[in-house]
Amino acid sequence: MRFFGVVIAALVVFIAGCDNSRPTSDSNEVVTYSAYAAKVRGLDPGDIGDTTSSAVASQIFECLYQYHYLKRPYELIPQLAEDMPQVSEDGLRYTIKIKKGVYFADDRCFEGGKGRELKAGDFVFAWKRIANIKYLSKNWWIFDNRIVGLDEFREYTKTVKKGEEVDYSRVMEGLQTPDDNTLVINLKKPLPQIVYLLAHLPTAAIAKEAVDYYGKDIINHPVGTGPFKLKVWHRGSYIELVKNPGFRAEYYPSQGAPSDVEKGYLADAGKRIPMIDRVLMVLVQEDPPRWFLFLQGKIDASGIPKDNFNEAIDQKGVLTAEMRERNINLLVFRDPSTYWLGFNMEDEVLGRNKPLRQAISSAVDREKYIHLFTNDRGEVAYGFIPPLMKDYDPGIRDFAPTGYDPEKARRLVKEAEKVHGGKLPRLTLSLAGTDAVARQQGDFYKRCFREAGLDIEIDYMDWPTFQNRIKSKSAQIFQLGWIADYPDAENFLQLFYSKNASPGPNNFNYSNPEFDRIYERASIMPDSAERIELYRRAERIVVEDCPAVFLLHGVAYVLQHDWIFNYKPHAFGYGLTKYRRIDSVRRSSYKELLRGIK
Amino acid sequence: MTAYIIRRLLYTIPIVFGVMLVTFVLFNVVQGDVTDLIAGKAASVETREEIRAEYGWDKPLFLSWDSQFVNHLKNSATFNFGRSWSDREPIIEKIKRGAGPSLSLTVPMFLGTLVVSISLALLVAFVRGTIGDVVVVLVCVAGMSIPFLSFILFGQYFLGFKWGLFPVYFWPDLSTPQYVALPVLIGIAAGLGGNLRFYRTVMLDEIRSDYVRTAFAKGLTARRVLFKHVLKNAMIPIITQVVLAIPFLFLGSLLLERFFGIPGLGYLMIDAIGARDFQVISAMTYIGAILFVVFNLITDVCYSLVDPRITFD
Repeated sequence: MRFFGVVIAALVVFIAGCDNSRPTSDSNEVVTYSAYAAKVRGLDPGDIGDTTSSAVASQIFECLYQYHYLKRPYELIPQLAEDMPQVSEDGLRYTIKIKKGVYFADDRCFEGGKGRELKAGDFVFAWKRIANIKYLSKNWWIFDNRIVGLDEFREYTKTVKKGEEVDYSRVMEGLQTPDDNTLVINLKKPLPQIVYLLAHLPTAAIAKEAVDYYGKDIINHPVGTGPFKLKVWHRGSYIELVKNPGFRAEYYPSQGAPSDVEKGYLADAGKRIPMIDRVLMVLVQEDPPRWFLFLQGKIDASGIPKDNFNEAIDQKGVLTAEMRERNINLLVFRDPSTYWLGFNMEDEVLGRNKPLRQAISSAVDREKYIHLFTNDRGEVAYGFIPPLMKDYDPGIRDFAPTGYDPEKARRLVKEAEKVHGGKLPRLTLSLAGTDAVARQQGDFYKRCFREAGLDIEIDYMDWPTFQNRIKSKSAQIFQLGWIADYPDAENFLQLFYSKNASPGPNNFNYSNPEFDRIYERASIMPDSAERIELYRRAERIVVEDCPAVFLLHGVAYVLQHDWIFNYKPHAFGYGLTKYRRIDSVRRSSYKELLRGIK
Repeated sequence: MTAYIIRRLLYTIPIVFGVMLVTFVLFNVVQGDVTDLIAGKAASVETREEIRAEYGWDKPLFLSWDSQFVNHLKNSATFNFGRSWSDREPIIEKIKRGAGPSLSLTVPMFLGTLVVSISLALLVAFVRGTIGDVVVVLVCVAGMSIPFLSFILFGQYFLGFKWGLFPVYFWPDLSTPQYVALPVLIGIAAGLGGNLRFYRTVMLDEIRSDYVRTAFAKGLTARRVLFKHVLKNAMIPIITQVVLAIPFLFLGSLLLERFFGIPGLGYLMIDAIGARDFQVISAMTYIGAILFVVFNLITDVCYSLVDPRITFD
C-alpha cells in the first residue's frame, strides 16, 4: 500500500507544482477574446507570409497606408503617411510625407527604453531588409524589379557573408529621404498598384534598433507604432496584446457605406481608438473545442466548422433557432478569392486541344462541388475576377462558353478526339492533400470526368510535392486558387501573363500575345473606366482560351456574439481590432442566458 | 554490472544511428522539397537557392564529410538542432518549453492509470471467475476497441461542454490542475482497458502460486497477501511496463494536447509533421530514441533490484 501512497502523493505534488496560472485581468479592463486556428510563425512583418501571423502583427505594426474601415468599394487612406502620395506625371516618382509625432512603442532596444519618433528612414530600412537575400524574406516579390537600385542592393547582399554585415546605409536612387519626414520612391516603371503594396503588412516601418538589439529573436519581439503591443506570447498556446499607451490620437471613422448607420457601424463615429484594453488570442486548431468555446461565450466570434454548419444555419440559409436564442449574429460576406482546376498549357495533350479543355469545363458540376465541399459557402465562378472586386464583369456569366452540361461535354470530347487524332489518353489530376476530403474531391472529379467519357487518374500528394510539380511544369491538371492581395484585378491578371510562367505565378503556363499586350498596358494605368474595360477584355480572352475550369468564389460565414460591436467584414484589412467595441456587461449576462437555455 | 551497463550504453550508438538514418531518409529522400514553403509565393530561383544554402540543403545527402547526413549527426550529437524552418525559433527552446506542459499531462495520467489499473487488477484477480470479473473484462475489451479520439470527443462534449464539469479547453486564466484535469481523466479512462487486462493476467499468474496458498493457510489477510506478497512478486512485468513507458511521457500525447490546447511536445510533434519541419521531427525522434534506450537499460537494472536471483555476470 505504501507504493500507492507514494504514487498518489507524487501525483498531487506534481500537479500542484505545475501550476503556472496567470492572474485574471482587472475587471474594469475591456478585453476581446478570440481563437486562431493556425500557429503564429513569427511577428517580424518583413518575413510574414501567413494570415494568422499577419492578423497578430498588424495590431502592432503599421504601414504608410491602410484601408478605410467602412467605405466600399475599398479605399486607401493614410496610416503613417500624412497624405496620399504625390505622383510625378510620368508615374515614376512617389513623394510621401510621413506623419509627425508618431512614436515606436517603448522597448528596451531604445535608449532609456523610450520609443523614439518614426522617421522616413524606418521604411527604407524595412524595405532594404526585405531585399537583403540573406534575410530570406518571403516578401521580396513586393519589390522585385520595381524600385530603382533595390535589385542592385539585393545583388550586393549576395556578396556579403552574413546578413548582419549588410550595410543598410548605402545610398540608393530609388529610395531617398530628403528629411526625416519625407520619403521619395523612384520606380523603374509605372506601378499604380504600389499604393496597395504600401498598405501591405510586410512594408511596415521597422526600427533598426530593434533588429540590431534582438537579432534573429526579433520574431519574438515586435516593436511597432501600432495601437497594441505584445505582452505575452506563449508560443503554441496564446497571445496577449495590451493597449500601447504611447499610441497617437486616432479616431473611429465618421463616414461609411450607406447601410452602415442602420447596421450600427457608425455609432462610435469620432471616438478615440482603440476602445479595447487587452486582446487575448488563444490557439485552437481543432474545430470541436473552438466551437464549444464560442457557444460558451469564451470567444467573441467564430467561423462555422463544416460539421457544425447545420447546427448554426438552417435550410433557408439563416441562423437556426438555437443560435438566435443565444443572441448570436451571422455575417455573410464575399471573399476576394477564386478557385479553379488549372490546365498546364504546355502539356502536349491539353495545351493544343481547346475542345478537350472546354469539355472538362462542361463536365465539372460546380454547384454540386460547392454544396459538397463548402456547405454552399461559395458562388459559381465563370471567370477569375471575384464579384467582390470593383473590376468584376457582371456579363462574364453570359459570356463564358462553358457551364455544367454533361451532354455538351460528351460532344466536345468527340471533337477533342478529332483534334488529338485518336482516342484521348488517360489524364492526371494532381490534388494537394491525402486526407479524406482530398479523396472525396478526387472521387467527385472522377465521376464528373467519367460522365463526359474521359479517363482520369487522381494523383494525391503533400503540399511541397504538389508545389514542386507545378513549379516544374510537370502537373497536367491541378486544383488551386488565389486570394487577392489588394482590391485591383491586376492581382489576378498577372496569373495569366506569359512572362510569369512557372516557376512564376502563372501556373497555367498560359501565353496569349493579345492578353499580354492588354495586361502590359492596363497594369501601368491608374484606376479608370478605360482600365476596367481593359481588365474585362483580358479576362474574356482567358475565359475563351479556357486554361482553367473556374470553380468558385469564396463566401465567408462568421458568427458573432451580441456584445462585440463594429465587426464589419473587411476583405483586405488587417489590424482592425482597434475599431472594435465590447459591451462587457452583455458578455457577463451571457452566462445567465446559458443557464436559462439549459 | 558496470561492464554490463557500459556494454549496453555502447549498443545505444548503432541503435540511435539507425533511427536517425531511417528518419533522415524518410524526410529527405521520400518527402518533397520544402524550399517553396519557406520561400513563399512567387519566389525567384535565386531566393530558393539561397534558402537551400542557408539550411545546407544544397549539399549532398550522403557520401561526403560535409554531407547533410553527416552534419545532421554532428549537430544532433551536440544537441544543436538549429532553428525550425517554419518559424525560425531554436528547436532546443521549443523542446525545453514543451517538456513541462507535456509532463503535467502525461505524468498524472500515467500514475493515475497505474494506480487504478493495478488496484483493480488485484481485485478482479482475487475474484476471478465471478460475474464481477467477467464484467470488468468485457468493459476492458470494449474500452480497448473504442478509438482514442472517441474518448476525447465524448469527454470534451459531455464532461466539458454539456455538463460543465471541466473546462473544455486550455484558457490562460486557468491553473494547470484545472485545465489538465479533463484530459488526464480521459487519458486514464482510455488507457484503463489495456492496462487492466495486462495487470490482471500478471496477477492471475501470481495468485495461482504456491506461496499465495501458503500465505492464506497461515492466516494472513487478503489485503496483506495481495498488496504485500502478490504485488511484490509481480513486479518484473510491472517494471517492464512502467519503466518503458516513461520515455513516452516526455514525448507527450499528440491528440490530447492538440484537442485541449496543451502546448507540449506532442503538440509540437504533430505541428512539425503537418509543417514538414524535418529538423523538429528529427530532434524529437533522436531524443525519444536516446530516452528509450536509456530507460531500457534502467529496466534491466531494476530487475536485479526487485529480484535478487537476477545478476549481470
